[in-house]
Amino acid sequence: MLRLIGTRALLGVATLFAVSVLIFVCTQILPGDVASAVLGNQATPEALAVFRKELGLDQPATVRYFNWFLGAIQGDLGKALTNGRVIIDEIKPRFYNTMFLAGYSALIAVPLSVGLGIIAAIREGRMIDRMSNVLTLMTISVPEFFIGYVLIILFAVNLPWFPSLATVYDEMPISERFYVATLPALTLTMLVAAHMLRMTRTSVLSIMSSPYIEMAFLKGLPRSRVVVRHALPNAAAPIITVIALNLAYLVVGVVVVEAVFTYPGVGQYMVDAVSKRDVPVVQACGLLFAGVFVGLNTLADIAAILVNPRLRHKR
Amino acid sequence: MLDRKELDTTSTGLVVDRRQVMAAAAALGLATGLTALPAEAQETPKKGGTLKLGMEGGSASDSLDPRTYADSVAIAYSLMACNCLVEIDDKGNATPELAESWEAKPGATEWVFNIRKGIKFSTGKELDADDVIYSIGLHRGETKSPAKGILEPITEIKKTGSHQITIKLSGGNADLPFVLSDYHLIILPNGYNDFTKTLIGTGAYTLDKFEPGVRIIATRRKDGEYWKKGRGNFDSIELRYILDAAARTQALVTGQVDAVNRLDPKTAELVMKAPTVNVVRSKASGLRYAFVAHRDTAPYTNNDLIMALKYGIDRQKIVDTVFKGFASIGNDHLISPANPYFDAALPQHPYDPDKASFHFKKAGISGPIELQVSEGAFSGATDSAVLYQEALKKAGIALDVKRVSGDGYWSNVWLKSPFCAVYWGSRPTADLQYSQTFLSSAAWNDTNWKRPEFDKIVIAARAELDTAKRKTMYAEAQKMVAEDGGMICFAISDFLDGYSKKVKGVAVHARYDLCDMRIAEKGWFA
Repeated sequence: MLRLIGTRALLGVATLFAVSVLIFVCTQILPGDVASAVLGNQATPEALAVFRKELGLDQPATVRYFNWFLGAIQGDLGKALTNGRVIIDEIKPRFYNTMFLAGYSALIAVPLSVGLGIIAAIREGRMIDRMSNVLTLMTISVPEFFIGYVLIILFAVNLPWFPSLATVYDEMPISERFYVATLPALTLTMLVAAHMLRMTRTSVLSIMSSPYIEMAFLKGLPRSRVVVRHALPNAAAPIITVIALNLAYLVVGVVVVEAVFTYPGVGQYMVDAVSKRDVPVVQACGLLFAGVFVGLNTLADIAAILVNPRLRHKR
Repeated sequence: MLDRKELDTTSTGLVVDRRQVMAAAAALGLATGLTALPAEAQETPKKGGTLKLGMEGGSASDSLDPRTYADSVAIAYSLMACNCLVEIDDKGNATPELAESWEAKPGATEWVFNIRKGIKFSTGKELDADDVIYSIGLHRGETKSPAKGILEPITEIKKTGSHQITIKLSGGNADLPFVLSDYHLIILPNGYNDFTKTLIGTGAYTLDKFEPGVRIIATRRKDGEYWKKGRGNFDSIELRYILDAAARTQALVTGQVDAVNRLDPKTAELVMKAPTVNVVRSKASGLRYAFVAHRDTAPYTNNDLIMALKYGIDRQKIVDTVFKGFASIGNDHLISPANPYFDAALPQHPYDPDKASFHFKKAGISGPIELQVSEGAFSGATDSAVLYQEALKKAGIALDVKRVSGDGYWSNVWLKSPFCAVYWGSRPTADLQYSQTFLSSAAWNDTNWKRPEFDKIVIAARAELDTAKRKTMYAEAQKMVAEDGGMICFAISDFLDGYSKKVKGVAVHARYDLCDMRIAEKGWFA
């Protein structure tokens, strides 16, 4: 089993390396270059030439890739082309904010949806099963900004319980952070709940038809105990995968929610950089997101191995 | 999502009161004293409070370096910490700021500026001519500064006293004080080039926290009164980047911020009804929205086709539908009705399908005409183009509206496509407006319209000191552009600022929104 886990981890690293190449290549073939994007319609040919030279855009791409990659593994992501600020210093607080929001949402979303999924499986076909299904499907079916605006209207304007601006700052005490980030966290919860809930319910139910579950029922165990003790451990692997995918989404896919609530996360930083062709920043954000994505999925694979009773116990 | 709004040097509208410049140019006008306070501001300003601003027009890539400023947020924070030589007042006049007076030698090729004495930077250093020469010099020569172009005619800046500079120009320019009011030309201490943490200037505030893309915090300087009386009244300023228009509006209505820029025209009517909010609307001060055709590319070389395209657009409908009435119709020549050189006698091109049809038939063009548009050109470009298509249909003209990517629009489509959407910011003077867009030599002549007669008029008007003569010249220039040029400028937008009612000292300004981006300096709390 250790070998299995080791292979998974190595595979993760290899994926990350491949992604780094891909990110670099993709940023090279973006239309237009940073010089013309930054200067906009001020871009006279002389200004462009001066700026390109200043940015080192006249060097070959392979040289730039290795310079970048070697720097990146040492934690040096370079300086932003547009304003010359050190990227790692800019990205750190934003990444912390992003992780904070993702963590906050996960804290609500994961127990809620997995719990509801299990309950729905236990009470299959009953009121609570139907209700939770319909409600979460409804929230996943509308665009995220719409949910955001509805929450703002309800809980920031009509009932002034929470601020509509969720901007968090370094010096904010943690309790206040939780308070201001409530609406975006709820928005994200609604976005990811349905997926996890339905996957939990389905995978538990699919196990329920196995012979050994029938055996458990025949032993006279109550349905809830059968589900939690017997069905769930075997149903865990797909649930974990779905949770990991959704957690990754909470980190990398929330730019619209960030914009609606003016939340200073990495997403907005990356969008700004893309529109200005600030290549080092785009690369840094891309690498970060790829790292989170690959990391979470690798962890999920490893966790799935660990919880699988057949792999856990040596034969 | 390239936001080119105000990516131009000195965009946005300016009501230019030429008399004052003329007076100065004729070496008579020693402009003295401070800028007049806005009409509403006759009550005495009160000190105190934290002004919370919510603004669009900036991003995480904003920098403190004045050579990078391109949008509203940067202008706003630079003017908290710094001053320029010349300030534009509410009416659009060039008034003294760090330059207490100026005069031009006849012909307007040589100008003398007297620098105000006894002004201190936040470091305690006193302002002198060297600081001014250094600060303007940042934008000359080998530089990527957007202000480089407008300073190009300057051949020499000489120190002619501890507090006096003399500027020599390659050709007469009666508008030099306006040029020096450009927002890039803030005055910094001589040799200052560390733009990583803060800005050192002579302004009312110091920048304490600079977190581009998130917020900027400034506090009032502790070392004595601000040198402008009645200005710089807030204890501190908190500027937040709120890029989403709905979020910005929400923040204003719920009182999380005290002032916002760029209200969405679609919801402005509703915001005006909110009891706590005061909306300031600056008419026809904003962006010029246009479709531009390359006059040197077939079929747009044909005059009748151009006339057909100009008569075939229903301007009023676009203004009412796309901009919800918060814009004025344009007459294809970029000069706003708010500009004193606007020629009211020049007939407005009406929407006339019959005339359009007549000219189109005369032109004898077959096949549809392709117009490339993108929301990356300006918000509402696609809707405008579709309305244009409908209007042309009534004249029997087929327009193909081709939507292109907003990403890379300015490098891939604009200046390259023979017929595409564009916006132009208003320039502080009629001269700059025309020099940058329609002169044969202009780098951004996006209609490829080259007429030596036109060039001659604009260059002569630049040095002309007689207002009446100048007015005739600009009228002629407008007529040429409107009738012969390849630009279909159909609308000029309004600026819409939103303030909490407790913010006083706010007024319509002739140039930029948020009181010429000086709300931090000009406003106060009731």
